[in-house]
Amino acid sequence: MTELHHDHDRTVKPMVDEITDFEVLEIALRELCIEKGIFTAEEHRRFTEFAEQIGPTPAARLVARAWLDPDFKALALAEPMTASKEVGVDWLEPTGFGTPSDFTAFQILADTPGVHHVIVCALCSCYPRPILGNSPEWYRTPNYRRRLVRWPRQVLAEFGLYLPDDVEVRVQDSNQKQRYMVMPMRPEGTEGWTEDQLTEIVTRDCLIGVALPKPGVTTNVIVDTRPAIRPGAQ
Amino acid sequence: MSRPPEPLAGIIERNQIWSRMAAKYGVENPVPPWKTSLDGLCDALDHASCDANVPTFKERRDEEDELCATLYASLPYPENQLVALAHSLLARGVISEAELRERLVAVRARLEA
Repeated sequence: MTELHHDHDRTVKPMVDEITDFEVLEIALRELCIEKGIFTAEEHRRFTEFAEQIGPTPAARLVARAWLDPDFKALALAEPMTASKEVGVDWLEPTGFGTPSDFTAFQILADTPGVHHVIVCALCSCYPRPILGNSPEWYRTPNYRRRLVRWPRQVLAEFGLYLPDDVEVRVQDSNQKQRYMVMPMRPEGTEGWTEDQLTEIVTRDCLIGVALPKPGVTTNVIVDTRPAIRPGAQ
Repeated sequence: MSRPPEPLAGIIERNQIWSRMAAKYGVENPVPPWKTSLDGLCDALDHASCDANVPTFKERRDEEDELCATLYASLPYPENQLVALAHSLLARGVISEAELRERLVAVRARLEA
């Protein structure tokens, strides 16, 4: 028994052992909305399950497969929703029970040696959630949204991405009905790699366009989220 | 509203934000456990079609942006997202301050039982 307890202590991660006001607030809002008939508990549960299971892996796999298979790449660019299905994402039924607010048309933007794409939603924070998961915090900030469309190279540099002058930067603005993801170019040094190996280096940031895939890099760039300067406040 | 509604003001003052709570208990998760439920709540609201003055997706996000840059600028994400949503629902009369206050007490009592 002693050994069992020892294992338990070692493997169970710590938890916040306290009920926070924010946790209580989320439950209170949800219960009041349900009682008022704005949505049902079942609808909330299904949308929450959707939020829990989405992530960038299907998009990374799609890119890796496209790098290895020219026919699949052609399909991804011509019929992105069909290609998405092959990596397990059905844009017409992303939750399996109806669409959340972000349905949509979907397009994949392929980088070339002369053109680099990066996505944004200048209006709010539209994002290809079914295939990329929830957007990172910085993607939602007015700072990123306002500045990327005006000074894309400066903003990309803040992510550590410096592009040569002869590479055109195209900022693609998403909206409520049209979503995009970036298909970066396959980096050098990945010759002979398997689809699984390639999938690992296609990070969320690469699929947004604020980073380029690189052998050995499998994590996102983390940048401090800075508030936008409000012109009216100056 | 130029001030946080009373039930929200108390929550902000106690400042049980995730970064602080996670550090206190040595937890590594970058976001609090209620975040996906909040995402589900936002999706369910965006999906709702009823007579109540529920914000549309765009209205909800516009109000969140405005509130997070002003009244709730001191809160980090996603606490600011949650509090801004509560503020919008109160300001629109979808829920009242009195019923929110009562429900906060009731939920806490239930969770602590």
